[in-house]
Amino acid sequence: MASSLPFKLVTPTEVVFEGNAELVIAVTTEGEEGILPHHAPFLAALRPGILRANVLRDGDGPASRLELATSEGFMQALPDRVTVLVDEAVRFEDVVVAEARQELNDATERQKAAAGDATAHAREQAIIDFANAKLRLTGHR
Amino acid sequence: MATVRDLRDRIRSLKNTQQITKAMKQVAAAKIRRAEAAQKKARPYADAIAEMLRDLIGAVTSVDHPFMRAGRAGAPAGIILITSDKGLAGAFNSNVIGAAEAFARTQSAIQYYTIGTKARNAVRRWGMADRPSWLLGAPSKIDTAREAARAVTDDFNRGSISEIVLVSQQLITMMSQRPRTRKLVPILKEDLASLDSARDDARNRGAIEFAPSPEFVLSKLLPKYLEFTIYSAMLETDAAFFAAQLVAMTNATDNASKLIDELTIQMNNARQAAITKELLEIVAGAEALGVE
Repeated sequence: MASSLPFKLVTPTEVVFEGNAELVIAVTTEGEEGILPHHAPFLAALRPGILRANVLRDGDGPASRLELATSEGFMQALPDRVTVLVDEAVRFEDVVVAEARQELNDATERQKAAAGDATAHAREQAIIDFANAKLRLTGHR
Repeated sequence: MATVRDLRDRIRSLKNTQQITKAMKQVAAAKIRRAEAAQKKARPYADAIAEMLRDLIGAVTSVDHPFMRAGRAGAPAGIILITSDKGLAGAFNSNVIGAAEAFARTQSAIQYYTIGTKARNAVRRWGMADRPSWLLGAPSKIDTAREAARAVTDDFNRGSISEIVLVSQQLITMMSQRPRTRKLVPILKEDLASLDSARDDARNRGAIEFAPSPEFVLSKLLPKYLEFTIYSAMLETDAAFFAAQLVAMTNATDNASKLIDELTIQMNNARQAAITKELLEIVAGAEALGVE
Protein backbone atom coordinates (compact mmCIF):
# COMPACT_ATOMS: atom_id res chain seq x y z
CA MET A 1 0.00 0.00 0.00
CA ALA A 2 1.33 3.39 -0.97
CA SER A 3 1.70 5.92 1.79
CA SER A 4 -1.06 8.47 2.13
CA LEU A 5 -1.88 11.60 4.06
CA PRO A 6 -5.06 13.17 5.46
CA PHE A 7 -6.72 15.38 2.86
CA LYS A 8 -9.54 17.83 3.47
CA LEU A 9 -11.46 19.84 0.88
CA VAL A 10 -13.52 22.59 2.49
CA THR A 11 -15.95 25.28 1.28
CA PRO A 12 -17.61 27.86 3.55
CA THR A 13 -20.81 25.83 3.59
CA GLU A 14 -19.54 22.27 3.88
CA VAL A 15 -16.68 19.80 4.02
CA VAL A 16 -16.71 18.36 0.50
CA PHE A 17 -14.17 15.64 1.14
CA GLU A 18 -12.33 14.38 4.18
CA GLY A 19 -10.19 11.30 4.08
CA ASN A 20 -6.80 10.01 2.99
CA ALA A 21 -5.11 10.70 -0.30
CA GLU A 22 -1.95 9.38 -1.93
CA LEU A 23 -1.70 12.38 -4.23
CA VAL A 24 -3.44 15.73 -4.56
CA ILE A 25 -3.06 17.86 -7.68
CA ALA A 26 -4.41 21.41 -7.71
CA VAL A 27 -4.08 24.31 -10.12
CA THR A 28 -2.22 27.11 -8.39
CA THR A 29 -1.72 30.56 -9.85
CA GLU A 30 1.73 29.31 -10.87
CA GLY A 31 0.56 26.12 -12.54
CA GLU A 32 -0.38 22.61 -11.46
CA GLU A 33 1.09 21.42 -8.22
CA GLY A 34 1.08 17.84 -7.01
CA ILE A 35 1.32 17.04 -3.33
CA LEU A 36 2.61 13.72 -2.05
CA PRO A 37 2.96 12.71 1.60
CA HIS A 38 5.80 14.38 3.49
CA HIS A 39 5.68 17.47 1.33
CA ALA A 40 7.53 20.50 2.68
CA PRO A 41 5.24 23.20 4.16
CA PHE A 42 3.60 24.93 1.25
CA LEU A 43 0.82 27.49 0.87
CA ALA A 44 -0.53 28.57 -2.50
CA ALA A 45 -3.36 30.52 -4.07
CA LEU A 46 -5.47 28.42 -6.41
CA ARG A 47 -6.97 29.37 -9.73
CA PRO A 48 -10.35 28.01 -10.80
CA GLY A 49 -9.67 24.64 -12.34
CA ILE A 50 -9.92 20.91 -11.86
CA LEU A 51 -8.67 19.43 -8.63
CA ARG A 52 -7.58 15.82 -8.81
CA ALA A 53 -6.70 13.45 -6.03
CA ASN A 54 -6.04 9.76 -5.58
CA VAL A 55 -8.09 9.05 -2.50
CA LEU A 56 -8.45 5.98 -0.34
CA ARG A 57 -12.11 5.40 0.41
CA ASP A 58 -11.90 3.07 3.36
CA GLY A 59 -8.46 2.73 4.80
CA ASP A 60 -6.52 0.34 2.58
CA GLY A 61 -8.67 -0.39 -0.46
CA PRO A 62 -7.26 0.58 -3.85
CA ALA A 63 -7.04 4.31 -4.47
CA SER A 64 -9.81 5.88 -6.50
CA ARG A 65 -9.73 9.06 -8.52
CA LEU A 66 -11.52 12.13 -7.17
CA GLU A 67 -12.04 14.94 -9.65
CA LEU A 68 -13.83 18.18 -8.94
CA ALA A 69 -14.18 21.55 -10.56
CA THR A 70 -13.10 24.13 -8.02
CA SER A 71 -13.33 27.92 -7.93
CA GLU A 72 -10.68 30.24 -6.52
CA GLY A 73 -9.11 29.19 -3.26
CA PHE A 74 -6.03 28.13 -1.37
CA MET A 75 -4.05 25.00 -0.72
CA GLN A 76 -2.05 24.38 2.38
CA ALA A 77 0.29 21.41 2.39
CA LEU A 78 2.09 20.26 5.52
CA PRO A 79 4.18 17.11 5.92
CA ASP A 80 1.24 15.39 7.61
CA ARG A 81 -1.85 16.81 5.87
CA VAL A 82 -3.25 18.79 2.95
CA THR A 83 -6.09 21.29 3.22
CA VAL A 84 -7.77 22.88 0.23
CA LEU A 85 -10.07 25.86 0.76
CA VAL A 86 -12.28 26.93 -2.13
CA ASP A 87 -15.43 28.98 -2.60
CA GLU A 88 -17.14 26.18 -4.45
CA ALA A 89 -16.34 22.63 -5.45
CA VAL A 90 -18.52 20.65 -7.83
CA ARG A 91 -18.37 16.94 -8.50
CA PHE A 92 -18.75 15.54 -11.98
CA GLU A 93 -22.28 14.30 -11.32
CA ASP A 94 -23.40 17.66 -9.90
CA VAL A 95 -22.43 19.75 -12.91
CA VAL A 96 -25.42 21.05 -14.82
CA VAL A 97 -24.00 21.66 -18.27
CA ALA A 98 -26.67 24.12 -19.39
CA GLU A 99 -26.19 26.19 -16.24
CA ALA A 100 -22.42 26.24 -16.62
CA ARG A 101 -22.81 27.39 -20.23
CA GLN A 102 -25.20 30.12 -19.11
CA GLU A 103 -22.76 31.30 -16.40
CA LEU A 104 -19.99 31.34 -18.96
CA ASN A 105 -22.01 33.44 -21.41
CA ASP A 106 -23.30 35.84 -18.76
CA ALA A 107 -19.84 36.42 -17.32
CA THR A 108 -18.36 36.95 -20.76
CA GLU A 109 -21.04 39.55 -21.51
CA ARG A 110 -20.48 41.32 -18.20
CA GLN A 111 -16.74 41.27 -18.73
CA LYS A 112 -17.16 42.95 -22.11
CA ALA A 113 -19.50 45.54 -20.61
CA ALA A 114 -17.03 46.32 -17.82
CA ALA A 115 -14.07 46.90 -20.13
CA GLY A 116 -11.45 49.05 -18.46
CA ASP A 117 -12.42 48.14 -14.87
CA ALA A 118 -9.60 45.85 -13.76
CA THR A 119 -11.34 44.54 -10.62
CA ALA A 120 -14.55 43.69 -12.45
CA HIS A 121 -12.54 42.11 -15.23
CA ALA A 122 -10.70 39.83 -12.82
CA ARG A 123 -13.94 38.97 -11.02
CA GLU A 124 -15.70 37.91 -14.21
CA GLN A 125 -12.59 36.05 -15.38
CA ALA A 126 -12.75 33.91 -12.24
CA ILE A 127 -16.37 33.03 -13.03
CA ILE A 128 -15.47 32.26 -16.65
CA ASP A 129 -12.59 30.01 -15.58
CA PHE A 130 -14.76 28.17 -13.07
CA ALA A 131 -17.50 27.63 -15.66
CA ASN A 132 -14.88 26.38 -18.11
CA ALA A 133 -13.50 24.01 -15.48
CA LYS A 134 -16.99 22.58 -14.95
CA LEU A 135 -17.44 22.08 -18.67
CA ARG A 136 -14.01 20.50 -19.03
CA LEU A 137 -14.74 18.17 -16.14
CA THR A 138 -17.81 16.87 -17.94
CA GLY A 139 -16.01 16.64 -21.25
CA HIS A 140 -17.96 19.43 -22.87
CA ARG A 141 -14.95 21.38 -23.80
CA MET B 1 -68.16 44.25 36.45
CA ALA B 2 -67.48 42.19 33.33
CA THR B 3 -70.18 39.72 32.46
CA VAL B 4 -69.61 36.00 32.29
CA ARG B 5 -69.90 36.10 28.51
CA ASP B 6 -67.27 38.85 28.13
CA LEU B 7 -64.85 36.88 30.27
CA ARG B 8 -65.51 33.67 28.38
CA ASP B 9 -64.77 35.46 25.08
CA ARG B 10 -61.51 36.86 26.42
CA ILE B 11 -60.39 33.48 27.70
CA ARG B 12 -61.18 31.91 24.34
CA SER B 13 -59.16 34.52 22.46
CA LEU B 14 -56.25 34.14 24.89
CA LYS B 15 -56.28 30.41 24.35
CA ASN B 16 -56.03 30.99 20.62
CA THR B 17 -53.06 33.30 21.11
CA GLN B 18 -51.45 30.73 23.34
CA GLN B 19 -51.84 28.10 20.67
CA ILE B 20 -49.96 30.34 18.26
CA THR B 21 -47.13 31.19 20.67
CA LYS B 22 -46.81 27.53 21.56
CA ALA B 23 -46.51 26.57 17.90
CA MET B 24 -43.95 29.33 17.26
CA LYS B 25 -41.96 28.11 20.23
CA GLN B 26 -41.78 24.63 18.78
CA VAL B 27 -40.86 25.94 15.34
CA ALA B 28 -38.10 28.10 16.85
CA ALA B 29 -36.70 25.12 18.74
CA ALA B 30 -36.53 23.09 15.52
CA LYS B 31 -34.97 25.96 13.60
CA ILE B 32 -32.27 26.52 16.23
CA ARG B 33 -31.11 23.01 15.57
CA ARG B 34 -30.93 23.68 11.83
CA ALA B 35 -29.12 26.98 12.32
CA GLU B 36 -26.62 25.36 14.65
CA ALA B 37 -25.99 22.59 12.16
CA ALA B 38 -25.19 25.22 9.50
CA GLN B 39 -22.80 26.93 11.94
CA LYS B 40 -21.10 23.63 12.65
CA LYS B 41 -20.62 22.97 8.95
CA ALA B 42 -18.85 26.33 8.57
CA ARG B 43 -16.38 25.63 11.35
CA PRO B 44 -13.78 23.60 9.39
CA TYR B 45 -13.46 26.50 6.93
CA ALA B 46 -13.08 28.97 9.80
CA ASP B 47 -10.33 26.86 11.37
CA ALA B 48 -8.50 26.36 8.09
CA ILE B 49 -8.61 30.00 7.02
CA ALA B 50 -7.46 31.16 10.45
CA GLU B 51 -4.53 28.76 10.33
CA MET B 52 -3.49 29.95 6.88
CA LEU B 53 -3.80 33.54 7.96
CA ARG B 54 -1.50 32.89 10.91
CA ASP B 55 1.10 31.27 8.66
CA LEU B 56 0.94 34.24 6.31
CA ILE B 57 1.13 36.91 8.97
CA GLY B 58 4.25 35.21 10.26
CA ALA B 59 5.86 35.34 6.84
CA VAL B 60 4.93 38.63 5.22
CA THR B 61 7.14 41.64 5.55
CA SER B 62 5.01 44.23 3.83
CA VAL B 63 1.70 43.88 2.08
CA ASP B 64 0.46 46.26 -0.50
CA HIS B 65 -3.22 45.57 -0.07
CA PRO B 66 -5.89 48.27 0.39
CA PHE B 67 -7.23 46.43 3.47
CA MET B 68 -3.92 46.99 5.22
CA ARG B 69 -3.80 50.73 4.63
CA ALA B 70 -5.72 53.30 6.63
CA GLY B 71 -8.92 54.36 4.93
CA ARG B 72 -9.36 57.76 3.33
CA ALA B 73 -9.33 60.37 6.09
CA GLY B 74 -12.62 62.17 6.58
CA ALA B 75 -14.71 59.57 4.77
CA PRO B 76 -17.66 58.18 6.71
CA ALA B 77 -17.41 54.85 8.53
CA GLY B 78 -19.18 51.92 6.90
CA ILE B 79 -21.37 49.80 9.15
CA ILE B 80 -22.62 46.37 8.17
CA LEU B 81 -25.67 45.88 10.38
CA ILE B 82 -27.13 42.38 10.61
CA THR B 83 -30.59 41.66 12.06
CA SER B 84 -33.26 39.07 11.42
CA ASP B 85 -35.97 39.51 8.80
CA LYS B 86 -38.80 38.92 11.25
CA GLY B 87 -39.69 40.07 14.73
CA LEU B 88 -41.42 38.40 17.68
CA ALA B 89 -38.15 37.73 19.43
CA GLY B 90 -38.22 40.22 22.27
CA ALA B 91 -35.57 42.93 22.16
CA PHE B 92 -33.30 40.90 19.86
CA ASN B 93 -33.32 43.30 16.92
CA SER B 94 -33.69 46.56 18.82
CA ASN B 95 -30.62 45.65 20.90
CA VAL B 96 -28.37 45.19 17.91
CA ILE B 97 -29.81 48.26 16.18
CA GLY B 98 -29.15 50.18 19.40
CA ALA B 99 -25.53 49.00 19.36
CA ALA B 100 -25.14 50.35 15.83
CA GLU B 101 -26.62 53.69 16.89
CA ALA B 102 -24.26 53.84 19.86
CA PHE B 103 -21.30 53.29 17.55
CA ALA B 104 -22.66 55.80 15.05
CA ARG B 105 -22.71 58.49 17.75
CA THR B 106 -18.92 58.20 18.06
CA GLN B 107 -18.52 58.88 14.34
CA SER B 108 -19.05 62.04 12.36
CA ALA B 109 -20.69 60.25 9.45
CA ILE B 110 -21.94 56.76 8.72
CA GLN B 111 -22.82 54.73 5.68
CA TYR B 112 -25.00 51.71 6.37
CA TYR B 113 -25.13 48.33 4.66
CA THR B 114 -27.90 46.18 6.03
CA ILE B 115 -28.60 42.48 6.09
CA GLY B 116 -32.07 41.59 7.41
CA THR B 117 -35.40 43.37 6.94
CA LYS B 118 -35.41 44.88 10.44
CA ALA B 119 -32.03 46.53 9.89
CA ARG B 120 -33.17 47.90 6.54
CA ASN B 121 -36.31 49.36 8.09
CA ALA B 122 -34.38 50.95 10.95
CA VAL B 123 -31.95 52.62 8.57
CA ARG B 124 -34.83 53.89 6.45
CA ARG B 125 -36.46 55.26 9.56
CA TRP B 126 -33.31 57.28 10.24
CA GLY B 127 -33.84 58.92 6.89
CA MET B 128 -31.23 57.02 4.92
CA ALA B 129 -33.17 55.46 2.10
CA ASP B 130 -31.49 53.62 -0.78
CA ARG B 131 -28.73 52.04 1.26
CA PRO B 132 -27.66 48.61 0.00
CA SER B 133 -29.65 45.93 1.76
CA TRP B 134 -30.01 42.16 1.65
CA LEU B 135 -32.32 39.64 3.26
CA LEU B 136 -30.94 37.44 5.99
CA GLY B 137 -33.17 34.59 4.91
CA ALA B 138 -32.16 34.58 1.25
CA PRO B 139 -31.80 31.08 -0.23
CA SER B 140 -28.01 31.24 -0.32
CA LYS B 141 -26.45 33.01 2.64
CA ILE B 142 -22.95 32.69 1.28
CA ASP B 143 -23.96 34.48 -1.93
CA THR B 144 -25.48 37.28 0.14
CA ALA B 145 -22.29 37.50 2.19
CA ARG B 146 -20.23 37.69 -1.00
CA GLU B 147 -22.37 40.45 -2.46
CA ALA B 148 -22.25 42.44 0.75
CA ALA B 149 -18.49 41.97 1.02
CA ARG B 150 -18.11 43.13 -2.57
CA ALA B 151 -20.21 46.24 -1.99
CA VAL B 152 -18.25 47.34 1.09
CA THR B 153 -14.92 46.45 -0.49
CA ASP B 154 -15.67 48.49 -3.60
CA ASP B 155 -16.73 51.48 -1.50
CA PHE B 156 -13.69 51.14 0.73
CA ASN B 157 -11.30 50.94 -2.19
CA ARG B 158 -13.01 53.90 -3.84
CA GLY B 159 -12.60 55.89 -0.63
CA SER B 160 -16.29 56.50 -0.01
CA ILE B 161 -15.93 54.81 3.38
CA SER B 162 -12.94 54.90 5.69
CA GLU B 163 -13.48 51.66 7.58
CA ILE B 164 -15.67 48.58 7.66
CA VAL B 165 -17.41 47.80 10.94
CA LEU B 166 -19.64 44.80 11.57
CA VAL B 167 -22.48 45.03 14.10
CA SER B 168 -24.32 41.79 14.79
CA GLN B 169 -25.75 39.62 17.53
CA GLN B 170 -23.55 37.14 19.25
CA LEU B 171 -24.97 33.95 20.68
CA ILE B 172 -23.54 33.67 24.20
CA THR B 173 -25.77 30.88 25.44
CA MET B 174 -29.21 29.67 24.44
CA MET B 175 -30.65 32.13 26.94
CA SER B 176 -28.58 35.19 26.14
CA GLN B 177 -27.43 37.08 23.09
CA ARG B 178 -25.27 40.16 23.06
CA PRO B 179 -24.64 42.64 20.25
CA ARG B 180 -21.03 42.88 19.14
CA THR B 181 -19.30 45.69 17.23
CA ARG B 182 -16.18 44.60 15.35
CA LYS B 183 -13.86 46.65 13.22
CA LEU B 184 -12.94 44.46 10.25
CA VAL B 185 -11.07 46.74 7.87
CA PRO B 186 -8.51 48.29 7.75
CA ILE B 187 -6.41 45.62 9.39
CA LEU B 188 -3.63 47.63 10.98
CA LYS B 189 -0.26 46.57 12.33
CA GLU B 190 -1.57 46.77 15.90
CA ASP B 191 -4.28 44.23 15.15
CA LEU B 192 -1.71 41.85 13.79
CA ALA B 193 0.44 42.22 16.88
CA SER B 194 -2.16 40.16 18.72
CA LEU B 195 -1.29 37.32 16.39
CA ASP B 196 2.31 37.35 17.55
CA SER B 197 1.98 34.09 19.41
CA ALA B 198 0.93 32.67 16.08
CA ARG B 199 4.13 33.98 14.62
CA ASP B 200 6.10 31.71 16.92
CA ASP B 201 3.86 28.86 15.97
CA ALA B 202 4.60 29.45 12.32
CA ARG B 203 8.33 29.56 13.02
CA ASN B 204 8.17 26.22 14.73
CA ARG B 205 6.72 24.80 11.58
CA GLY B 206 9.89 25.71 9.74
CA ALA B 207 10.18 27.52 6.46
CA ILE B 208 6.96 27.58 4.51
CA GLU B 209 7.09 27.86 0.77
CA PHE B 210 4.53 30.23 -0.71
CA ALA B 211 3.36 30.23 -4.29
CA PRO B 212 3.86 32.73 -5.71
CA SER B 213 4.63 34.85 -2.60
CA PRO B 214 3.19 35.29 0.90
CA GLU B 215 2.16 38.84 0.00
CA PHE B 216 0.18 37.66 -3.00
CA VAL B 217 -1.53 34.83 -1.15
CA LEU B 218 -2.41 37.17 1.70
CA SER B 219 -3.88 39.72 -0.70
CA LYS B 220 -6.13 36.93 -2.03
CA LEU B 221 -6.95 35.61 1.40
CA LEU B 222 -8.01 38.89 3.02
CA PRO B 223 -11.13 39.40 0.83
CA LYS B 224 -12.14 35.77 1.48
CA TYR B 225 -11.67 36.35 5.15
CA LEU B 226 -14.02 39.36 5.02
CA GLU B 227 -16.63 37.36 3.09
CA PHE B 228 -16.44 34.52 5.50
CA THR B 229 -16.62 36.75 8.58
CA ILE B 230 -19.85 38.27 7.25
CA TYR B 231 -21.17 34.81 6.40
CA SER B 232 -20.47 33.40 9.83
CA ALA B 233 -22.01 36.48 11.49
CA MET B 234 -25.14 35.82 9.43
CA LEU B 235 -25.25 32.22 10.59
CA GLU B 236 -24.78 33.33 14.18
CA THR B 237 -27.55 35.92 13.86
CA ASP B 238 -29.83 33.19 12.56
CA ALA B 239 -29.11 30.87 15.46
CA ALA B 240 -29.29 33.70 18.02
CA PHE B 241 -32.58 34.92 16.56
CA PHE B 242 -34.31 31.58 17.00
CA ALA B 243 -32.85 31.26 20.49
CA ALA B 244 -34.27 34.71 21.35
CA GLN B 245 -37.59 33.79 19.77
CA LEU B 246 -37.75 30.56 21.74
CA VAL B 247 -37.32 32.51 24.98
CA ALA B 248 -39.82 35.19 23.95
CA MET B 249 -42.43 32.63 22.94
CA THR B 250 -41.92 30.57 26.08
CA ASN B 251 -42.55 33.70 28.14
CA ALA B 252 -45.60 34.62 26.07
CA THR B 253 -47.05 31.13 26.50
CA ASP B 254 -46.46 31.24 30.27
CA ASN B 255 -47.98 34.70 30.57
CA ALA B 256 -51.03 33.59 28.63
CA SER B 257 -51.46 30.63 31.00
CA LYS B 258 -51.31 32.93 34.01
CA LEU B 259 -53.81 35.33 32.52
CA ILE B 260 -56.16 32.50 31.56
CA ASP B 261 -56.06 31.20 35.15
CA GLU B 262 -56.87 34.62 36.57
CA LEU B 263 -59.68 35.24 34.15
CA THR B 264 -61.13 31.78 34.77
CA ILE B 265 -61.36 32.54 38.50
CA GLN B 266 -62.99 35.89 37.72
CA MET B 267 -65.42 34.19 35.41
CA ASN B 268 -66.35 31.56 38.00
CA ASN B 269 -66.87 34.28 40.61
CA ALA B 270 -69.04 36.24 38.24
CA ARG B 271 -71.09 33.16 37.40
CA GLN B 272 -71.54 32.27 41.07
CA ALA B 273 -72.56 35.84 41.83
CA ALA B 274 -75.17 35.70 39.08
CA ILE B 275 -76.57 32.41 40.42
CA THR B 276 -76.70 33.72 43.97
CA LYS B 277 -78.43 36.86 42.79
CA GLU B 278 -81.03 34.88 40.88
CA LEU B 279 -81.68 32.63 43.89
CA LEU B 280 -82.13 35.65 46.14
CA GLU B 281 -84.60 37.13 43.70
CA ILE B 282 -86.61 33.89 43.56
CA VAL B 283 -86.66 33.57 47.34
CA ALA B 284 -87.58 37.24 47.76
CA GLY B 285 -90.33 36.87 45.15
CA ALA B 286 -91.72 33.77 46.85
CA GLU B 287 -91.78 35.49 50.20
CA ALA B 288 -93.63 38.44 48.76
CA LEU B 289 -96.30 36.13 47.37
CA GLY B 290 -96.60 34.51 50.79
CA VAL B 291 -95.70 31.00 49.57
CA GLU B 292 -94.99 28.68 52.50
